[in-house]
Amino acid sequence: MAGAANQGTFDVVVLGGGVNGAGVARDCAMRGLSVLLLEKQDLASGASGASSGMIHGGIRYMTSDRRVTELASRDAGYIRRIAPHLTFRIPFLIPFATHREEATLLDRLTWYATEVYVGTYDLFQPLKGGKPSARLTADELYAVEPSLRPGLHGAVTLDEWGIDGQRLCLLNALSAAAHGAEVRTWTEATGLVREAGRVVGVRWRDALTGEHGEARTGVVVNATGGWSPRWGKSNGIAVPMRPGKGVHLSLDRRHGNYGIICTAVDGRQMFLMPHEMESIIGTTDDDYYDDPDDLDATAEEVEYLVEGVASLVPSVRQSRITRAWWGVRTTIYEYGVEEDDLSRDHRILEHGAEGTAGLLSFVGGKLASYRAQSEEVTDRAVALLGKAVLPCRTHEEPLPGGDEVPVPRELAERHGVPEAIAARLVYRHGSLARDVLRLVDDDPRMKLVVCRDEGIIAAEVAWAARHEKVRRLQDLRRRCRLAVGGCGGLDCARPAAQIAARELGWSADQLRAELADLLEVGWRERRPVLDGWQLAEEELLRAVHRGLGGL
Amino acid sequence: MSKVRSYAWLAWRAAVSHPLRGLRQRGSGRERFLGNYATEGLAPTTSGDRAAAEAASACISCGLCESGCALRGAIPSIRDMGLHAAFRLYSKSPEMLARSGDALAACASCTGCEPLCPTGVPVARLVRAFAARGGALDAARRDPAGPGR
Amino acid sequence: MPRSARIECDVLVIGGGMAGATAALAAREAGARVVLARKAPGSTGLSGGAISVAQDPASMPDTPFAARSGVVESARRIAATRPGHPYRVLRGRLDRLWNAIEFATGQLSSVLAPPSGRNRWLLTPFGHAHAAAACALTMAPGDLAEVRGTLVVCGFEGHLGWDPWLVASGAERVRSLGAPETRAVLLDLFRWEDGALARPFDLARMLEAPGAAEEAGRMLRKALPRGAAAAVFPPVLGLDPAARVPERIAAEAGIPVAEMLSDLPSVPGLRLHRAIEARLAAAGVEVLQGEVRAASGPDVPVAVGGREVAAPSWVLASGRFVGGGLERRGALMESVMGLPVLASEGPFADPSFRFAGRPPASLTLRDSRSPQPLLAAGLRVDDELHPLDAEGRTIHGRIFAAGAVVGGHDPASDGTGMGVAIFTGWLAGRAAAGRAP
Repeated sequence: MAGAANQGTFDVVVLGGGVNGAGVARDCAMRGLSVLLLEKQDLASGASGASSGMIHGGIRYMTSDRRVTELASRDAGYIRRIAPHLTFRIPFLIPFATHREEATLLDRLTWYATEVYVGTYDLFQPLKGGKPSARLTADELYAVEPSLRPGLHGAVTLDEWGIDGQRLCLLNALSAAAHGAEVRTWTEATGLVREAGRVVGVRWRDALTGEHGEARTGVVVNATGGWSPRWGKSNGIAVPMRPGKGVHLSLDRRHGNYGIICTAVDGRQMFLMPHEMESIIGTTDDDYYDDPDDLDATAEEVEYLVEGVASLVPSVRQSRITRAWWGVRTTIYEYGVEEDDLSRDHRILEHGAEGTAGLLSFVGGKLASYRAQSEEVTDRAVALLGKAVLPCRTHEEPLPGGDEVPVPRELAERHGVPEAIAARLVYRHGSLARDVLRLVDDDPRMKLVVCRDEGIIAAEVAWAARHEKVRRLQDLRRRCRLAVGGCGGLDCARPAAQIAARELGWSADQLRAELADLLEVGWRERRPVLDGWQLAEEELLRAVHRGLGGL
Repeated sequence: MSKVRSYAWLAWRAAVSHPLRGLRQRGSGRERFLGNYATEGLAPTTSGDRAAAEAASACISCGLCESGCALRGAIPSIRDMGLHAAFRLYSKSPEMLARSGDALAACASCTGCEPLCPTGVPVARLVRAFAARGGALDAARRDPAGPGR
Repeated sequence: MPRSARIECDVLVIGGGMAGATAALAAREAGARVVLARKAPGSTGLSGGAISVAQDPASMPDTPFAARSGVVESARRIAATRPGHPYRVLRGRLDRLWNAIEFATGQLSSVLAPPSGRNRWLLTPFGHAHAAAACALTMAPGDLAEVRGTLVVCGFEGHLGWDPWLVASGAERVRSLGAPETRAVLLDLFRWEDGALARPFDLARMLEAPGAAEEAGRMLRKALPRGAAAAVFPPVLGLDPAARVPERIAAEAGIPVAEMLSDLPSVPGLRLHRAIEARLAAAGVEVLQGEVRAASGPDVPVAVGGREVAAPSWVLASGRFVGGGLERRGALMESVMGLPVLASEGPFADPSFRFAGRPPASLTLRDSRSPQPLLAAGLRVDDELHPLDAEGRTIHGRIFAAGAVVGGHDPASDGTGMGVAIFTGWLAGRAAAGRAP
């Protein structure tokens, strides 16, 4: 297999294993093209792994072009169709607030305008199975969400879908592989091979084994996201982009069942929302010129986010923030515009004029539109190749596990696992949860609960290691949220490492190195927010892993 | 479609369509909102729930409470996961709590756990509170009038 | 007869971990009437079984065990090279360090092995050999520097909690330093329905059952390779030392049996906590269950655990973040008396740095392996263990600080946590009782 790929020929080589890259790989593979996907770290290591975790319907585009909203809502509907197990509702409250004593006429007009705007968005909700909005009076708002600060004048509600962006990205990559694509993670594209003004190949190197090779191809899709400008520069290509850093915070648990839209100190819109087993506060948007591999959340960004939410939900300052995380958006380049005002639209750049015909670059876009964006790029790639292919079906064919959503209670009873565990497996794996639990039938030891924050059993870790492109222990953070919760891996890191080592044939030294890497990644995320109980947790984590474990 | 047309359309909605729609709607905003989401199990959070959640957030996963649990060996669901699953897996989300089954309900309130907690989580009291809440959520979930999603 | 609400005593110790217990017992031995107030087991109940005092900072990774400095000498080197470390503050009294260690291990001889002056090297579940000046009784036979022959590393068939090959690799890595050869074995002790998913405290209880330890010993004897000199088990060999689980296994197997160090949940940690409770009771220390907050000092009686305690001398041994002696809620604070948090690691060891209000990222380093100032934060003390204010003045002549609440050491990085706790506890207890330093 490796031998064949070292000098393989492919119709398309995709650079970047984020949701766009994986989406393009899937679409190309499903249409019958041969595809190689190269991702220099793990799938969803960039913006796709650090998104706000929602597939929304493009509400903000109603002011410029409501066809974009229609398309975005329709595509959100498609994502729900192909991965029904992966989406969950998040009702949002948009409170009407003023910092003055009394509401002015302008305030009331603004609130009415908001109510109308969100009410108009209701026209698009049916496209994505969304619920209509409702206007709440002040009393009703406090009855529904008592944690809000006093002095609010009511709210309008908004329905959106939440999703695990990392699983979405993974499922696209697995689907691509199931249709014949070759997916290589921890493998970097080290250079383009050009001949006569065209791209004819890509050189790559596997960062873990040192293996290298060259893939011949006619079309290269640059889906490297926030790394595009750097990648472009190292290959002598211009990829104009305004990389935008976005930071989020996670809270230890769901603060409630409704998201709350807040306004930050500089007037930007922010949110506090429940998301699976935690709450997310987001987000920032700042031009980022530095190395996307070397990001951290700053104290200013953390305080900015907390302050923004605290203006409406004062109790957030007593909440346990478990970590901060970040990514770099691939925003379309425009000069002289504030970050927030930049278009979230996407664009495909062709580099023929720069002597690299056959190279397509993906710029801009958002998680919710990945499928439509990928379809456009694939259309373009097909046109460049001039091949006859099958029609696009990425909107119809379910992603792996998306064909049916099992009932957790039945799985729990059949396999003898707690129902809550079965529910988490169904969330992450859909119909494939049955297959994961079959591992438990064969080996009852696999029922061992590894993580109590996310409900992970040994069987799931083993499954991921065998079937979900896991090559490093930190990949499990993205597959099943290992060590991502407040515990930082206190319970789960070592048992999971032992299971992965068994599956992947690691030596003891390699196991320890992977464990150290996992802990290092977690430390980077917890460092900016160490406070309160999370700091006590950190003391314990260090005592066990560094003090005792010598890691 | 230009910005002008979009704004004109929104102005029409503000002046005409939206008020008309408001006239046709039944029930208060709150009733409609809660009605939308009751079947999903997405109900408002009471201040009691919040206080319990805040107390549970003090858990640092040390496992000492397990050593004081009189029932731990007897109930498989506690034995497998450890007592502090009560704070972690089950208490973080109503969906999980509704599925906790006998793991929380079996608590006999012997309070062998509480004095052992280094960060002062009121373990036994929270387990009782979560068990009651979990039972209520589970009953609501099974209610034929409101199937789960 | 109803107990009076008010207690008059000589010394009030706040905190029931190793530092507080050592202080209370030392004061008691000096003849004082001692009350100890504690709210919870704290971090001592979570310890893994190792009493880490000092590792030689000058030794190279390939220095053989036998050639490494003894514990006290290592402590002196740390005092010389680490500004801000409590050993440095107390460098004039380091000649008493060993007295303190022997005192504490003697008081807790029901669970702690007598120390030898050199570090013991003990296996951990993480495939690492950890150096400790003293350790649990159940762990001493597993000292890699003392085992002559093959060390058998055991796991439990069907239980994924401990991987004996991983554990054994910890010894492999230090073979050249003098560690023994190892052999990993799995013992089929627990039927999976009972034991494969069981948590550590349950496994410990199962092994206490009549016949269980003997069964384990028989299985071990059958699996012994030639030249086996000792065996190391997962740290679940019974919760109650009186059940004599390791001894019974050893008797059947015919070789010494040890536990490896423990991560969490920790059965050895709970044993240590219980032994401390028992020793305090036996020594006549009155233990109150309760929290002390917003206290002004020994000049005013303080309410704790439903009583009122009046004591002219206090020992503050309240721990760091897990123990609850320090908290950070926006800013670093000492929780019992509101004393200023001024001592830490590295550049923050300098008292002129007012770091208590700084954001967490500025008090931590990107490389998690480095000592972290935030995790080393605590009270600044003089060589009499009196907390100091920002100007370097003693805050109160009859308040003494001991253990993790004293700043300047990040226990996870430098392996001096228990040493600081015992040494400062012993000195503080004696001083509080009026015994000359």
